[in-house]
Amino acid sequence: MSLFKAHYNLEKHSVGFVVAIILAASVGGLVEIAPLFTIDETVETLPDMRVYTPLELAGRNIYIREGCYACHSQMIRTLRDEVERYGPYSLAAESQYDHPMLWGSKRTGPDIARLGGKYSDDWHVAHLTNPRAVVPTSIMPAYPWLATTSLAVNDLGAHLATLRTLGVPYTDAMIANAPRDALAQARPDSEAAADVVERYGEATTLRRFSGADELTEMDAVVAYLQVLGQLTQAPYTTETTP
Amino acid sequence: MSVSERDPVSGYATTGHDWNGIKELNSPIPRIVLWFLAVTHIYAVISWVLLPSWPLIDTHTTGLVGVDQKTAVATDIASADAARADWMSALATEDYDSLRANSDLMARAKVTAAAVFGQNCQVCHQKGGRGGPGFPGLSDDIWLWGGTAEQIETTLRHGINSPDPDTHFAPMPAFGRDGLLSRPEITTLTDYVMTLQKGVIAGDTSEGAVLFQANCVGCHGEDAKGVEGTGAQNLTDTDWLYGGDAATIRQTLLNGRQGVMPAWQNRLSDADIRMLALYVEGLSKGSGDAE
Amino acid sequence: MIACLTPSERRIGLFLAVCLALLGLVMAAVGKQDPMAVHGFMALVLGGGLFFAIGGTLEEPAPDAARLHRYYDDPIKVGIVLAMLWGVFAMSIGLWVAGLMVWPDATFGKAWSSYGRLRPVHTTGVIFAFGGNALIATSFHVMQRTCRARLADQLSPWVVLIGYNLFLVWAVSGYLMGVTQSKEYAEPEWYADLWLVIVWLVYLVLYLRTLKRRAEPHIYVANWYYLAFIVVVAMLHIVNGLALPVSFAGAKSYPVFSGVQDAMVQWWYGHNAVAFFMTSGFLGMLYYYLPVRAQRPIFSYRLSIISFWGITFFYLWVGSHHLHYTALPTWVQNLGMTFSIMLLVPSWASAGNALATLNGAWHRVRDDATLRFMFVAAVFYGLSTFEGSFLAIRPVNALSHYTDWTVGHVHSGALGWLAMVTFGAFYSVIPQIWGRAGMYSPRLIEWHFWLALAGLLTYVFSLWNAGITQGLMWRTYNAAGTLNYSFIDSMEAMRPYYIARFLGGALFLAGICVGAVNIWLTIRGAQDVAGDRPFAPQVAE
Repeated sequence: MSLFKAHYNLEKHSVGFVVAIILAASVGGLVEIAPLFTIDETVETLPDMRVYTPLELAGRNIYIREGCYACHSQMIRTLRDEVERYGPYSLAAESQYDHPMLWGSKRTGPDIARLGGKYSDDWHVAHLTNPRAVVPTSIMPAYPWLATTSLAVNDLGAHLATLRTLGVPYTDAMIANAPRDALAQARPDSEAAADVVERYGEATTLRRFSGADELTEMDAVVAYLQVLGQLTQAPYTTETTP
Repeated sequence: MSVSERDPVSGYATTGHDWNGIKELNSPIPRIVLWFLAVTHIYAVISWVLLPSWPLIDTHTTGLVGVDQKTAVATDIASADAARADWMSALATEDYDSLRANSDLMARAKVTAAAVFGQNCQVCHQKGGRGGPGFPGLSDDIWLWGGTAEQIETTLRHGINSPDPDTHFAPMPAFGRDGLLSRPEITTLTDYVMTLQKGVIAGDTSEGAVLFQANCVGCHGEDAKGVEGTGAQNLTDTDWLYGGDAATIRQTLLNGRQGVMPAWQNRLSDADIRMLALYVEGLSKGSGDAE
Repeated sequence: MIACLTPSERRIGLFLAVCLALLGLVMAAVGKQDPMAVHGFMALVLGGGLFFAIGGTLEEPAPDAARLHRYYDDPIKVGIVLAMLWGVFAMSIGLWVAGLMVWPDATFGKAWSSYGRLRPVHTTGVIFAFGGNALIATSFHVMQRTCRARLADQLSPWVVLIGYNLFLVWAVSGYLMGVTQSKEYAEPEWYADLWLVIVWLVYLVLYLRTLKRRAEPHIYVANWYYLAFIVVVAMLHIVNGLALPVSFAGAKSYPVFSGVQDAMVQWWYGHNAVAFFMTSGFLGMLYYYLPVRAQRPIFSYRLSIISFWGITFFYLWVGSHHLHYTALPTWVQNLGMTFSIMLLVPSWASAGNALATLNGAWHRVRDDATLRFMFVAAVFYGLSTFEGSFLAIRPVNALSHYTDWTVGHVHSGALGWLAMVTFGAFYSVIPQIWGRAGMYSPRLIEWHFWLALAGLLTYVFSLWNAGITQGLMWRTYNAAGTLNYSFIDSMEAMRPYYIARFLGGALFLAGICVGAVNIWLTIRGAQDVAGDRPFAPQVAE
């Protein structure tokens, strides 16, 4: 066979062989990845989709730091039992500002794509501090240090600016006021709280998430968990009209 | 370079290459591999013809069958809903008395509600509704907002201290943090509340009783037994939501309590909420599975 | 070992050590309170140490010219020892995290010891540290023996080994400090990623330069696989690692892709890390050590070609099967599924080629535990690739995904294939390069083999059961037509399986510890005459 003959010659040239490997290995990725940027219907257009507030973003970074994604998915699949258990299936647009996405690959714990608003802040604080205090058979790690570590807010403006470079629509005002907004979101009675709502929308939750006086990592994580599935209301209204 | 030689075991000749002692047989590709290759490729091509599979520049092929996963799951759920409609729609619409009388429906509702409870409610209220610190038990007959199915349904729909506009609202003030009482007064009041298990003594003029009269009876009642439907709990029994020891009572007085129960009406269906209401009502009457 | 370097190599090495120390100094200085500063300090210490080690030998005489007529095996020895150390470490961490799923409070209550931070230490440790060092070490051996030529120079193998292990230390210590990109199997942050690119380029250039010296005009199959491993892993790593740091003075970065595109890139990477790190590279290993140990010719040259190019082409298409039924468009899922099915043919062709090579050597498989390691590896390679294609079918995946079945599948590959073939290769190569008549104790190899096999089977059977139970419980409907179990029910049902998994892991860990002791005793044993492959009469340069 001539193909074998061609190969017989190819395997005498190391650089040619490397080039052949690169060519063969490039096709699949190009065909499957590039069109995801050019086919418009890949990511739905949702008018009410908002960005993460600085506090929620800080919480998300702690979620990443602690490796929560290893046990919790944030991706409800288009399967009847998942929709009935967890809620409307996840839309691509819901994670369009997620650098990186946290869809996850394993459910040692349940999916948490629709966790926001499901439980009270108090419950989250109790659960994160010691999961077995509220779920006796839980095997989740305890994260007591979240409540005792004060939240670093000073560089949050730089985080927002980096994300804006990558295409997340943060405004100049959001970037300039990031540390202030992070603090104000957990201080609903402060003067700055109204600015947070003005910048991030009426649906933004302003609460003393951890219940403590100092702004800690617990506030950030709970704020993030309470916004999961709440950046847009589209999934709850379009469920049966694909 | 060694020359081609014949392998005595397989009977095939080698390719003639020799990599420091490693040789290769120039055996043909086994027929089964080619068959297998053909079968998998035919399967793939058929799939590509039938299903959405290949990208074009700004769209993609949809295939002859053209099933999209979003349509598929919508159809699945619709047919499941149709199959359950006979009893589910009754749950959503009929009044509780006629539901309770329908034993077949109640049996289905109970097994379903147990799973819905486990999926949504158990992490706070515990298995069988035992409750825990900060999260009231549901298996006793002590109720802050009423224990009939109708009342439970209202609580489920709108929550307690939740963002829902019709939520139950029960703010235990932060007497200490907000400066309503001084620290010595808090200590006195704590000691007084600790004595309430014996009941309120009429005409008590102790400092604690006076403080209690001035600050607490508005919600907890003259007899300190609470008022059902206000969220203010009975302070004369041994059932404490947050804990009846001095340290916890002091914390409660200092920082207040605004325990939140989320509103479930946007998360669960009407049928789910109403079967949960019946299920929880049943827990307190001892007919739930109190595992 | 430094004595083997030529004077000019020592000077270049000294220069590189200074560069590394300076890099570390800059990272430590600009990083200040950031974990990156800790990594800078590590680089500074390593660079400084190397500076003094090399600097002290500058005046020593050049190595004797006869070395050019011998293989250069020092880096292989170091690589093997590092692989075994990492292996014991990473599998111990694996046992710990397996334990945490039964006894969740078995930590020190500190952030570094929580499950989420330890888990990537285990995965990176086994795949990239144990597996990676094993691949680098054996590739140095295989490229020299199949080319009958010495490594192209004495310095770059050390750059590769030391550089790669610095990357690993950065990665693993970073996770413990909370430095992670959260991209599974690609967790290290931007500076570690960039560092790895440099190391990897040196590796590729070294490989190509050594191949250029080969005595046989054709390149042997094992080298194809090692080349595919090096080249494609570089492609994957660069694309998936694209990220923008928040500041060059800190570790935190944000990946350039988001949402659905990020998911696709991540699993294009993730699945092909399996393909080109855990499969291609180790097939290179198998293609050398199996025929040598069995003393049989490769069953079919043509089958080798089909399977190599099938694997190299098809694998890159199948990553989307990690995202079935998700927000990834259906067309990509279907493409991934069909290619996963087609991929089974070249995968099984490789496994079949290896097993058919053993025809005529079955008595050796029976008697020689070293060869038996490789035989079991080939069998588990075949089983795992079948399982992989099976799990890629959308309705099957609907059941299996997110469950412990996937974890079981990965371990049937990682323990049954990757680790088994590595042990077989190590037991083949160690006596040869250390100049020993054989391993210290063949009996200990038997012990290792049976412990490993028992651990492997216990592990995968418990997780298969766990995963299927979990998947079924999540979708069990009762007679009323509603979900029958809460998530907590399914989690509580996992406990016996998790205990069994812990025991399986303990057995496997015991096996590698026995192996490590045996290797240590072999290295410390008496010098003897060992058979080696003949060197080419002249260096082909």
